[in-house]
Amino acid sequence: MSKNNNNEKKPSFSLIKRLFGGKNKEMDIMQEEAIQSPMRTIVKNFVGNKLSMGGLIIFVLIFLIVLIGPFFYPIQLSEKEETQINVAPGMDMMKLPKELEGNVKMISTGSTFSVGVDNKGKVYTWGRTKISSKIDIKKDMPSQKELGEVVAVSAGFDHVMALNTDGEVICWGSNRMSQAKVPSGIKRKKIKQIAAGYQVSFALTEGGEVLYWGNENLNDIRVTRKNGNGKIDKISVANTTLMAITKSGEAVHMGSQPSDIDTIPEDLGKVVDIATTSDNALVLLEDGSLRVWGKKGKAIMDIPNIDGKIIALAAGRSHFTVLTEKGDVYVWGDNNKGQTKLPSNVKNISAVFSGSYQNYAITESGKTITWGLKGYFMGSDELGRDVFARLLNGGRMTMTIGAIAVIISTIIGIIVGGISGFFGGWVDIIMQRITEIVSSLPFLPMAMILTSIIGNSLSENARIALIMVVLGILSWPTLARLVRAQVLAEREKEFVTAANAMGVKKSSIVFKHIIPNVISVIIVSATLDFATCMLTESTLSFLGFGVKLPRPTWGNMLNGCVNSVVIKNCWWRWVFPAIMLSICVICINMIGDGLRDAIDPKSNER
Amino acid sequence: MLKYVGKRLVYMIGVFFVVSIIMFVLFNSTPGDRALNQVQNLRGKVSDEQFQIRYQAARDKLGLDDPIPVRYVKWMGNLLSGDLGYSTFYKKDVIDVIGEPLKNTMIINLFSTFVALAITIPLGIFCAVKKFSKFDNAVQVLTIVGYSVPIYIIGLILIYLFSVQLGWLPISGMNSPNFQGSGFTAFLDRLYYLTLPVIVMTIASLGGMTRYVRAAMIDALRMDYIRTARAKGLKEKVVIYSHAWRNALLSVVTLIISWFMSVFMGSIIVEQVFQLNGIGKMYYTGLMNQDYDVALAIQMLYCVITLISNLVTDLSYGIVDPRVRIDK
Repeated sequence: MSKNNNNEKKPSFSLIKRLFGGKNKEMDIMQEEAIQSPMRTIVKNFVGNKLSMGGLIIFVLIFLIVLIGPFFYPIQLSEKEETQINVAPGMDMMKLPKELEGNVKMISTGSTFSVGVDNKGKVYTWGRTKISSKIDIKKDMPSQKELGEVVAVSAGFDHVMALNTDGEVICWGSNRMSQAKVPSGIKRKKIKQIAAGYQVSFALTEGGEVLYWGNENLNDIRVTRKNGNGKIDKISVANTTLMAITKSGEAVHMGSQPSDIDTIPEDLGKVVDIATTSDNALVLLEDGSLRVWGKKGKAIMDIPNIDGKIIALAAGRSHFTVLTEKGDVYVWGDNNKGQTKLPSNVKNISAVFSGSYQNYAITESGKTITWGLKGYFMGSDELGRDVFARLLNGGRMTMTIGAIAVIISTIIGIIVGGISGFFGGWVDIIMQRITEIVSSLPFLPMAMILTSIIGNSLSENARIALIMVVLGILSWPTLARLVRAQVLAEREKEFVTAANAMGVKKSSIVFKHIIPNVISVIIVSATLDFATCMLTESTLSFLGFGVKLPRPTWGNMLNGCVNSVVIKNCWWRWVFPAIMLSICVICINMIGDGLRDAIDPKSNER
Repeated sequence: MLKYVGKRLVYMIGVFFVVSIIMFVLFNSTPGDRALNQVQNLRGKVSDEQFQIRYQAARDKLGLDDPIPVRYVKWMGNLLSGDLGYSTFYKKDVIDVIGEPLKNTMIINLFSTFVALAITIPLGIFCAVKKFSKFDNAVQVLTIVGYSVPIYIIGLILIYLFSVQLGWLPISGMNSPNFQGSGFTAFLDRLYYLTLPVIVMTIASLGGMTRYVRAAMIDALRMDYIRTARAKGLKEKVVIYSHAWRNALLSVVTLIISWFMSVFMGSIIVEQVFQLNGIGKMYYTGLMNQDYDVALAIQMLYCVITLISNLVTDLSYGIVDPRVRIDK
């Protein structure tokens, strides 16, 4: 009795103690152990099982992460970004080398890497410089002796250009389209500016002439006297094409194919400076105002109110950065990778460099402040999508489908098993036959057939619902048999006879009196079924019969990974989904096993 | 006993027809006109009138205008007489298409079953005898991992290890491309290509089987006759292998039968991952290319396999263990 009082005094404490594995105090030999309800025994047994408790904790963690994560890392299903394909995991895209810190002259960002020059003319590269198994910007970089004293660098999609004090242009990196093969005729000319784009390189001479090499056919670049060759003052590369300002202050487009960027407004007036994203151009006019044109409907057309005289423009892949005389920075455009999220300490800036999704601002004291895309925690996939974000969103999808399928199958199983066990007779016979027919349908082939035949004509959301229903409908027979056997045993007990004698309705005897007594069996079975359903969903999606791309699940993220190139070179694309899926299923199975042991202590002895 | 078998057979045939009706209706509710597909290539080449005649002829030949029950009876009659239909993808009769893949699948499954049994039976016995030892606990955790990890992930990991990193085994396929050879060399080449799939299937089945053998063995070891055997001073080896194992074998035999049947279905994934010309791959391509005659035939094959394995499992209980009376 005294022990009982003790328990009542501090129940919350004892609960915490029980939850975190503290053992009950050794009892005196004369004391009697308090009688526990079966549920408490089960909880106690389960908590005492380290393996399944560990599984439960890990599973709950993963569950919460995939449940909450997608709110912070939303994905766009139509997302495609060719400059960010198959980027290896790492968060060092904006990590400047120490030697460069406080000594920056110029920084240029390519696709996933950046190149910088310090005031002494030394070149540094950082970020994900390994572009493919053969090309590594950092390794391929010529020695400092060959480079000489560099005054300007420009990073393209997969190659780098550098200009040194001797007026020599040096290129390295990918040379597939001979974009890194500097023409020999260039030596005679005095180069003023260099710009590297997607598979193409440009150089501007002091004489106002534009030279280019590489794959100029992507945008049919034609530099002729008509579009101002010989009078060019400044060039700016926009992905595959080139924009330029002439010496008389006119903006011209150098590509001959119509693109979003060639719709140059006619009433521009005199242009002083230009910056280009992949689809937009920003110009600074003589009167100090800004104009944007190009692809419409993006946040990028919306120029913020700028206070003070603008001294520099910069552009990333889909955002613009502007620096004013007062040292303030303004940034606008797409914010899908955090590139326009300006840190609050950006003040008194003397220079700003933007490129791809990165921004570097140099303060007057020489400190570098960075913002934008740091890198991909788990790499990116074949369409340049963030694997981590897809993993979170895919996990939510996989778990939702698994959970709903289990709920469906559990409900069917309880109803069929309960009715056929309790009523017996011909009801039982019919139910049993139905159960056997369903269980004689081969599971995986059947699920494949149903989703492919019915699912083909459905929308994506209806298709997902169909997968849940199919999995639920195919996996109930095991549970129905278990419940039936349990109900058969329970219905002979006294409390059922008593309920019968009191005139309780048959249906409420089954579902209110008997089922609660077999609930433990149901819980174990549902837990193990959850693992099976998740596995089946992943398998279906893996085979291409489940949830279709681009909507991610853990299964279809692995879909495109069964070929030697991906397995070898892009390990992050299959290792992370595989690990998550495996850990999840292992944890659920451990929980299920632990529950079974806790409920049926006899099975412990096995 | 005979009465029981007869009853089960009749019942099994009943289930077979119900399932076949479900499958047939399902496959025939697919969108798309098969007759139109057959004559599609004639469009534009012949006059419209001629095209309509050809189209109608194709419809008549396929019996698309008949009501569903009539078509079902026709199809069932063909099925029972061995005509499984015509593959629109391979342009051959289905029966000629699925022969070779079926053989391949059987070979792979037989191999992996034997390898898996050779590993799991000794391991299961050992774990049961040394139960709750460190080794046993480790194996228990490993088996949970084993049956939790999806088979295609095991495949990916092993491809990475053996094909990509070490370069010992081929990544996928059945034969070397342009392989010229016969007899023994052809067999060796085939073996070289099938090693990895067999290993993957074996590993995938280790977890569940080890647990099953261990549980059966522990049950047997708890029996009174084991205590008696030990009490009369028999060697531990004799007790385990002669007294306990023989009794545990009863439930293991049934497991082997049902498990062997179920590998037919499991091999869909392995054949897809390794691009093996097996029945599962055939089913996959059939569904993917709307070649529904092939898919339907294989689906029916799967159903028959499941039904037979259920029957054999039930009967084998009675056969291997006379104490179990199934005809009650």
